[in-house]
Amino acid sequence: MQIKLGKFNLTLKKPSLKLAPNMALLTGIAMGVLAAIAQGFFNVQPPVGDGVCAVSHPANLINWLSNTIFNTEFTIHGIFVGIPVLTSVGFILGSTAAALKNKEFRFRKGPVRDNIFAFMLGFIIINFGLLWGSCPIRTAILASYGMVWAMLVLLAIVLGVIASCEYIKWKVRRM
Amino acid sequence: MFLIALAVLLVLAFGISWLLATYVPINIGVATLIVGLVLGYMGQRSRFCTISGLRDFYLVKDSYRLKGLIGIIIGGIIGFNLVKVISGEFEFPGVPDFPMLSQGLEVEPIILLPLSIIGAFGMAFFSVMAEGCPFRQHVMAGEGYLSGILYLFGLLLGVIFFDVVITPFLQVFTIAF
Repeated sequence: MQIKLGKFNLTLKKPSLKLAPNMALLTGIAMGVLAAIAQGFFNVQPPVGDGVCAVSHPANLINWLSNTIFNTEFTIHGIFVGIPVLTSVGFILGSTAAALKNKEFRFRKGPVRDNIFAFMLGFIIINFGLLWGSCPIRTAILASYGMVWAMLVLLAIVLGVIASCEYIKWKVRRM
Repeated sequence: MFLIALAVLLVLAFGISWLLATYVPINIGVATLIVGLVLGYMGQRSRFCTISGLRDFYLVKDSYRLKGLIGIIIGGIIGFNLVKVISGEFEFPGVPDFPMLSQGLEVEPIILLPLSIIGAFGMAFFSVMAEGCPFRQHVMAGEGYLSGILYLFGLLLGVIFFDVVITPFLQVFTIAF
């Protein structure tokens, strides 16, 4: 599409659905770097390695909201007691902005077709996740900092994925 | 091309962070929101997912998303060491001393360690069924996927359940050990 602004001619490209090669690698590196920056420059710690997390940060935000609104006394990481952690809000808003910009935003059914099952999965996964206290992203960050225990937990995540894949394959074979 | 993009990313990330931390004191809430916005945007464009990366590689030997998980480890090492270098050479006041970890969790009750393994295993097992890790579900909710939005509602209720039921149980359980 071309737009004329006086002397200037602007050519707008159609949004592309193709994935840029190595974009996932770049996103991963950005996660590791931004987690260190958040800790180093903006004091998002303790606990260590808590710059980015999709399990403990939403849990901290929900607990902060509950404590503020309903005067409960749910546990929050020390650094987030006074100020809410907004990483998960940023994930959603950032993703919405990208989807809107590239004309990919629309309400639709997700990959999990059963609505109740999708809800239950969120419920179950956060409970398992909070037992360890981190999502796979933070686990990988902790492993990169040399935490031996995080490396073992990362191995458990790999084994969990393999077990689930084998279970799904077995279930499909039985059908 | 990739190396240029990486170099630009590093210079921008460290430059902007340094300027913000020095001249515009922002609180943790704003800092985490900015980090979330950047990663949410990049996550949507790249379809990044840790669990799907492992699943795709295991099932169809597709390494596109797995590179993201490897990237976190590379980025963690780069970021950690760059922050250390910057804080050492320029004596940047905002950089605290966060040590490179070499040990396990600092928890006394030994029962928490196997629980962590069970938790991570269970999270991965069910995340394959949910078609994505918790981060990917946030991104999918932002894209308008109903399953992602419902997943987040389940997550909300799950956190409350963990606080009300599981945490007191764990406290009693660990005291027994």
